[in-house]
Amino acid sequence: MEIVVCVKPVPEAETRLRVSADGTRLDPEGVKFVLAGYDESAVEQALLLKESIAGSRVHAISFGPAPRTEEVLRASIALGCDQATWIEAPTPVPDDPVLAARALARAIASAPHDLVLCGKQAGDDESAIVATALGELLGVPVFGYVVDLKWDPGRSRLTFHRVMESGQESWESPLPCVIGLQQAWNDPRTARLPMILKSRKAPITKATMPDPAGNSRSVPAKFELPVARTGAKLIEYKSPEEAALKLVRILREDAKVFP
Amino acid sequence: MTSRIVVVGEVHHDHLIEATLEAIGKGRELAGSEGVVGFVGGSHAETAASEFARFGIGEVRWARDGVLDDRAAGRFAPTIATVADLEKASLILVGGTNFGRDLAGHLAIRWNAGTATGVTDVRTDGESLTVRRPVFGGRATETRRLEGPRAVLALRPHAFAVAPESVVPPHILPVPTAEVPSAWGGTKCLGTEVVPAGSGPALTDAAIVVSGGRGVRAPENFHLVEELAASLGAAVGASRAVTDAGWRPATFQVGQTGKSVSPQLYIAVGISGAIQHIVGMVSSRVIVAINSDPTAPIFKVADYGIVGDLFQITPALTSEIRKVRGL
Amino acid sequence: MPVVGSRRAMPDFSLTPEQESLRDMARKFARTEMAPHAAECDRTARFPEEIYRKAFDLGLMNLNVPADYGGSGLASLEQCLIVEELAYGCGGMTTSIIANCLALEPILLLGTPEQKSRVLTPFCSKYQLASFALTEPSGGSDAGAVRTRARRQGDHYFLDGEKCFITNAPHATLYTVFATVDPDKRHRGVTAFMVPRSAEGVLPGKDEEKMGHRASSTGTVRFENVRVPESDRLGGEGEGFALAMRTLDQTRTPIGALATGIAQAALDHAAKYALKRETFGRPIAEHQAIQIKLANMAQAVHAARLLTWHAAWTIDHGGKGTLESSIAKCFASDAALHVADEAIQTFGGYGYMKEYPVEKLLRDAKLTQIYEGANEIQRTVIARELLREYQ
Repeated sequence: MEIVVCVKPVPEAETRLRVSADGTRLDPEGVKFVLAGYDESAVEQALLLKESIAGSRVHAISFGPAPRTEEVLRASIALGCDQATWIEAPTPVPDDPVLAARALARAIASAPHDLVLCGKQAGDDESAIVATALGELLGVPVFGYVVDLKWDPGRSRLTFHRVMESGQESWESPLPCVIGLQQAWNDPRTARLPMILKSRKAPITKATMPDPAGNSRSVPAKFELPVARTGAKLIEYKSPEEAALKLVRILREDAKVFP
Repeated sequence: MTSRIVVVGEVHHDHLIEATLEAIGKGRELAGSEGVVGFVGGSHAETAASEFARFGIGEVRWARDGVLDDRAAGRFAPTIATVADLEKASLILVGGTNFGRDLAGHLAIRWNAGTATGVTDVRTDGESLTVRRPVFGGRATETRRLEGPRAVLALRPHAFAVAPESVVPPHILPVPTAEVPSAWGGTKCLGTEVVPAGSGPALTDAAIVVSGGRGVRAPENFHLVEELAASLGAAVGASRAVTDAGWRPATFQVGQTGKSVSPQLYIAVGISGAIQHIVGMVSSRVIVAINSDPTAPIFKVADYGIVGDLFQITPALTSEIRKVRGL
Repeated sequence: MPVVGSRRAMPDFSLTPEQESLRDMARKFARTEMAPHAAECDRTARFPEEIYRKAFDLGLMNLNVPADYGGSGLASLEQCLIVEELAYGCGGMTTSIIANCLALEPILLLGTPEQKSRVLTPFCSKYQLASFALTEPSGGSDAGAVRTRARRQGDHYFLDGEKCFITNAPHATLYTVFATVDPDKRHRGVTAFMVPRSAEGVLPGKDEEKMGHRASSTGTVRFENVRVPESDRLGGEGEGFALAMRTLDQTRTPIGALATGIAQAALDHAAKYALKRETFGRPIAEHQAIQIKLANMAQAVHAARLLTWHAAWTIDHGGKGTLESSIAKCFASDAALHVADEAIQTFGGYGYMKEYPVEKLLRDAKLTQIYEGANEIQRTVIARELLREYQ
């Protein structure tokens, strides 16, 4: 099976967030970029499938700027991916998941792809759009929030569960298709030291991104960090009922955390 | 944006889900009741289709084909895009559940629209749409401008108010189901295992957490905390004092030697706010504290506080929330 | 600062992407596999073999053995980057993980190609532990006074004696043993041997109960008339002492890294706590007494790390590195003890409680001042190397 896995470099979870000088995005200065968490699960799933289906290969693809994207692809190779393609994005990085999907789709369409795996969402923008947009662009079925992915060679069907708010759905799909993974079947493996050393020398194919002009409809305008807490606003009340009423109103209108 | 808005309904157990009612509310706010058209899909969606009218939306389009009985958003997208074009809509709103977010991704391509998910605020200023959404696990907020004539927004659940009830005469128009791309032909939903009721969300994933502390005084009083949590669909947590005393298992403990949570809303009931607890919940977006002691350190990190007797405040709060949520 | 032509030569302290990848991988292993079990293993003195197996599977053991013989073949600086990260997770587990490096180093330094391929390759091919057996009940620092006897008979030797405080001894399958062929010759009689556990008469003792590094296993090993063929002798008779010293030249620096990892963990705990804990109406990090403490701790950690890096760099660039590695080991271990002590003080009463992680760090730091060359000996080594430059 030819498996493509889409990976993204994101700031590591413990990063101190800072706003860029123009106020529109995260300041990347000093930020350490790593393979996105759900993408790690996607790579793990791809490798598990490769190990269970003879003659399979895993192709890691990423869209992003130097040097973080190349590093994340090398990390994927160190985990066991057979090849890697880097679609270089300009800096400042266009921060539009649909644009990313278009870039990935173009690279994937021209490569063998029976199954395309993506992580559910990236730890930074958390849009969860790339996988579904990719499915549309490639003209194949796409399913997100997938767990327990299995391949049934006898019936040539992928079987899996999707975790939805309404319950856990059981599905099957022919190939090719796009899967957005919510979790790995197993804990994602750690790259072995010898593989890390080997990955430094592995070749990475470069691909070009489609011309972004006219394609991006989603533009980041502001990036804000929450204001530091200054102490509770105490609610004045004469009866418990009044306190409850006031709090619910505040939560709904002021804090927008509507119960 | 004065053109129409399509609100896509998600149906669960024959009814529109709460996230759809929130989308209806926002749609009405942006375009007025006349400016909103509802949409449902699936062969069993009649009840859901008629629910739009309870919340002020008379015009509903219903694609009745059984191919839409599952939550495969890719099958819905062509029909919804067609309906939106026919209605001359410039905006599609959907509750940002997993289905809703999937749909947004499909429509971004199929309807060639500017798209955003997890949206917590929507503003229009003439031509463009500006949205706010949490990023980095809620540690930051970004504002995006969506450009172009069309936009799709998946609204973050609980970020918007449910539409006020406003009964209007329903006009449900059946619409043809657009052809599903042939690639979807071999896909099949084999069944759904429903999440059992009463098993609340996991503590670390929950959007809302209600925790109880030593102020609850005895294990037989802890139900006040749990009832408040249930009214909010929230997860239940506890301070170390409670778990140490054996009132609840250690898995409930939020704090330095317990779990770290960062929900949208954290309500601390009878918790003094010792640092060991604070470090486990301080990154919550909004913190509410209920405590009889005005000098309790919890009021330093909380956004809102009620100084008072939790045995009276908590049940009053539970009751008010149940009322507001129609439970 | 040396001036080269019209340019000033400056050291480059940045890590290569490869070094960062190695460090990140070790950090991930330490934080996800080691740290969650550190307190439990410390409390129960459990030897977490499953963690050591994982370390082996990931290539974190046998770091110094060349890839040709099945190891990871890393230079000293890369080893230090990894060891510091592992020690941040748990000092005790790190001691057992890197004990293989110490035990195998003599084979790397003085083993013939035949010995290396016969012993190292099978050893590194699967998970197993090795021990460096030098210390004896009658002498640790006085390594020249080894009493374990190696009596020659034809083409083999018989070993008799007892070693103590040997890391991994209760579990090891291979011992690098230092014995004397002639006690009257003192250090000139010391000879090194490779001895498999399976040899008759090798009697590993039980696990000792220790103050710290309790996830590591330490014990005696007795040799009763153990037959060792000449082909398992490393180098010639009487070359053992020099071999031991050269071995320690290589392994001192990673101990500096181990101590740095413990110190960094202590500093991190103390700083985070100081920002949250409030007394007298504000976080204790705003009190000058705590600020001065944290400043001193930070100085110590930074210096320990840089001294270790410099020693590793010196060795990797062909230098003997005795002075540099002694300074690094001595400074870093003293720093670790002091920083851990101050971390407990920062936590106050909570720091004294076993539920909090800092008191373990003090107990773990203490050993770094004692093993792999006690700091008193390090200081005599430093003095000797230093004074040589003035003669």
